[in-house]
Amino acid sequence: MKQRISGEGALIGEASAPSKGITKFMRNHKDAVIATIILGPMLLWWALISGFPTLFGFFLGFFEWVGVASTPKFIGFDNYVRFFNDPVYYMALWRAVWIGLLVTGLTIIIGFLVALLMNLPLFGKGIYRTMWYIPVVTSTVATTQIFNIFLDPNNGVINNILKGFGKEPIIWQYSVGWGVFWIVVYSIWKGIGGSALIWLAGLQSVDPVLYEAADIDGANRWQKFWNVTLPGVKPIATYIIITGLIGAVQIYEQVIFITGGGPYGQTEVLVYRILRDGFFDFNLGMAGASSVVLAAVVFVFTVAYFRYATENERSSRKKNARGAHGG
Amino acid sequence: MTNSKGIAKQFRPLNVFAHTVLMLGGLLLIYPIIFMFMAGMMSAEEYAKTVMGLFPIAKEPTFKNFMVLIGGASDSQVQTYYVNSILRTLYGLFWAMITSFLGGYVFARLRFKGRDTLFLVLLATQMIPGVVSVIPTFIEFARWPFAGGNYIFNGGKGILDSWWVYLIGGPSINIMGTFLVKQSLEKVPYELDEAAKIDGAGTFRIIFQILMPLQLPILAFIAITTSQGIWNDWTTPFFFTTSDNLQTLPAAISRMSQLAQNPMGLPDYPLMLTLGLGVTLPMLLLFFFFQRYIVQGLANAGIKG
Repeated sequence: MKQRISGEGALIGEASAPSKGITKFMRNHKDAVIATIILGPMLLWWALISGFPTLFGFFLGFFEWVGVASTPKFIGFDNYVRFFNDPVYYMALWRAVWIGLLVTGLTIIIGFLVALLMNLPLFGKGIYRTMWYIPVVTSTVATTQIFNIFLDPNNGVINNILKGFGKEPIIWQYSVGWGVFWIVVYSIWKGIGGSALIWLAGLQSVDPVLYEAADIDGANRWQKFWNVTLPGVKPIATYIIITGLIGAVQIYEQVIFITGGGPYGQTEVLVYRILRDGFFDFNLGMAGASSVVLAAVVFVFTVAYFRYATENERSSRKKNARGAHGG
Repeated sequence: MTNSKGIAKQFRPLNVFAHTVLMLGGLLLIYPIIFMFMAGMMSAEEYAKTVMGLFPIAKEPTFKNFMVLIGGASDSQVQTYYVNSILRTLYGLFWAMITSFLGGYVFARLRFKGRDTLFLVLLATQMIPGVVSVIPTFIEFARWPFAGGNYIFNGGKGILDSWWVYLIGGPSINIMGTFLVKQSLEKVPYELDEAAKIDGAGTFRIIFQILMPLQLPILAFIAITTSQGIWNDWTTPFFFTTSDNLQTLPAAISRMSQLAQNPMGLPDYPLMLTLGLGVTLPMLLLFFFFQRYIVQGLANAGIKG
């Protein structure tokens, strides 16, 4: 088993003495044996539940298949060609990206400001945290229904209020702009608490010694914020932006339950399209090809940001280390 | 901490500002929950007749919906949904804790060839969107060997629409948890393991009696986020099962809302909202009691500076 896990250079501190018998082998490769015992079953299960379906999905991208009773037909890159020629698909991808960027950006910025306030020594902090976090723990299917009740064209809460002011009611479902608007509002409502909490953890993990050192140096509040707090939370920014982007590009429950992709498919995002292809239109090949494109987009986002962030992190860590030891 | 007390004295207006923003924002955020509660007191007939305002006040308040939520009704399966939700969450939680802790231990403490490569591969797969595997998983489950479908391209219904969907499909390796435990364990000095080893403790004794108690905050964090994820997941029951007695609470709501899109079906909105409250409340209590661990756990893990 051990020889099959390859990768040079990662080998550290293994005894190289020639061994005879199983006990000697155990003694020399104890870590590897334990790792195999623990990781082996986990990886097998993981391969079965995540690995195989993912690969199979990618594989389906090269086939045309309705999934019932027939055998798949190999069509090469035709699904991909269609993806980039049929506006239904590339528009869905484009929408997923810009709605995702919008949601992530706003959630992260507002979350950071809120976390700054929550980090103050306030009375009743726990209550605020809970209040802000409530939307995060609610189930999407349940809370999107509230938005449906609010946006109902006939008896919706917002339209009733508009009528109360003598204004014309708006049929939100007929407008792309309003559809996207409500999807974004819902996503921010749901994500803001989580973002604030992660930022809060980041703020609290900044070494207090650095603040004391800054105090001694006579730094004012702004200087402390720019020179201690911001560099201190940079690593957590990496985490929150990457996970936020990955999550936001995959928004689809809001689309299913609030706009249903309408009007005329103008608010469809890619994940929604994949599910439709797979479960309603039985176009499994297209679903597979779209999945590959989505995965590629997420991957590019992540790698690009990770590169940028690790470079920053390295330099800020150096600075921090100097500050902690020197001060 | 003495430092922050000093700030409190110096910047009183800031505190007032913070209280105002956090309170008003918080109220805005929990407003839908209040709406759910108030609408839940209406009967379906009254709901259909009322012109909805910002606060739906029932003229004839009824607790019928809440009684259905707590005790079930003769014609509803609410209790089954609850039991399914709870069992599924506990089962998934159990495996998530085991895999993330043991996985984190392996990657943080053991030395073997290819460890870092393997870990990177696992982390990279974390980036692949979950929806990618929904349809292939459906096919995999439908063609499960020895369950009616032995040929990948066509066959029976396999393990779909049975408890196996949850038992087999639920647990896997919790990669994010593994990552967090690894980061957190790397800060625990290795001398601790060695001291225990000298005292005669075996590997698993070191893992469970020495290292695990130190990792409680991060494990609590993983437990809370995992259980939220599984508890609120409606797609697995929605797509992979059809029988009523296999549904979980969120899946039941999503089925009721599908009815809403059908012009002939009249959904019982107040009951739906009450069930929504029923989904939310347990997670809310869980968060309220363990929130300090969330912040602490995150701060302990490697995503800090």
